Amino acid sequence: MNVGGSGEKGAPRVAVVLGSGSVKCAAALGLLKVLRREGIGIDMIVGCSGGSIYAALIALGHDVDSAEAMTRRLWTKELTSRRNHKSLFSVFLPRLFGFDESFGMVDDALILQRLRATFGGRTLEEARIPLYLTATDFHTGEQVVFESGPIVDAIRASIAIPYIFRPWPVNGRMLVDGFMSDPMPVGVAIRQGANIIVTMGFESPYQHKINSPLRFAFQLSSITSNNLLKSNYAFYNLAHHAEILPILPEFKDRIHLFDTDKIPYVIEEGERAAERQVPYLRRLLAGA
Amino acid sequence: MEIVTEQRGAVTVISIVGSVDGMTAAALVGSFRAQVTGGNVLIVGDFAGVEYTSSAGLRALLETVKETRQQGGDLRLAGVQPEVLRVLELSGFTHILKLFPDIESAVASFPA
Repeated sequence: MNVGGSGEKGAPRVAVVLGSGSVKCAAALGLLKVLRREGIGIDMIVGCSGGSIYAALIALGHDVDSAEAMTRRLWTKELTSRRNHKSLFSVFLPRLFGFDESFGMVDDALILQRLRATFGGRTLEEARIPLYLTATDFHTGEQVVFESGPIVDAIRASIAIPYIFRPWPVNGRMLVDGFMSDPMPVGVAIRQGANIIVTMGFESPYQHKINSPLRFAFQLSSITSNNLLKSNYAFYNLAHHAEILPILPEFKDRIHLFDTDKIPYVIEEGERAAERQVPYLRRLLAGA
Repeated sequence: MEIVTEQRGAVTVISIVGSVDGMTAAALVGSFRAQVTGGNVLIVGDFAGVEYTSSAGLRALLETVKETRQQGGDLRLAGVQPEVLRVLELSGFTHILKLFPDIESAVASFPA
């Protein structure tokens, strides 16, 4: 049988695409568990926003336990505890404080420090599995795909959540969160020649209560990105011959942005959802 | 995948059991097309027994919807299970397809 990731001539090229979804993206580790258990290799990994962190960890060869431990250290509530006062003042007094494209309500020093502690100076080229991380050009709206360079830069750009973290400059471009151009970047895998695309992504949550300007802004952002997710996903399904297998974990509880204590549960649901696709994935690999 | 076809008045009910995916979509398109070619363009796809659909399944559905509508008919789905419904929602198909809880209501939705 031709197994994905074998690199053999004629073997199908299997891609894993991890879309946005903050802590929910940890479900990717459940998917990884299943793929490893079944001996199904991965030829490429694409990551966006929260999914970029897991895509990088998997591509670098971390096992599920170490990836889980690393993300629990990386992604905690403290990340947003320090405000970027200059940015906040610039909203009300734009001329005095010089409001510009580098707006972000949260001081990003801690997230940078943690990304550097997690990934150090490693580059995308060093990944064991070809790795593609996506962000969005703030000025043109174009999707930007990182295939090389420091992983820290690519992830920092990919998780530049609008209003929260300032856009991240890379090679002269100001970049914002990858979900702004495509919340589940299946197109990158198609472009790279994947035949079988196993994808996992999540809709942005809607606000229960709109009691602050930020929640108002988040709500608008969720409406836009969720509709973008669906329209892009429909396009990829209909416009290409590649087989796209969505892994859709079901969460009974609402998972908030920093619910890292729920990561084991999220991984479990990811594993369960992935297991449901194994028989078909096996048939596809056998028939290709 | 198993496909059973049944005529209910002017409406053709095609019941599917199994997965609608890359391995089976061609057979399903063939069944749908045979009906459309025979002039049966009012079709209900009974999805109560469909446990999964992939991108190939979505393409099969879209192709049939286009063909039936071009001839004044329609493909409507009945009894879509939660797992399949999530894929249809994610891909925006719930905006272009008419879904019904069961065969009876789907058949009744066509003008008598």
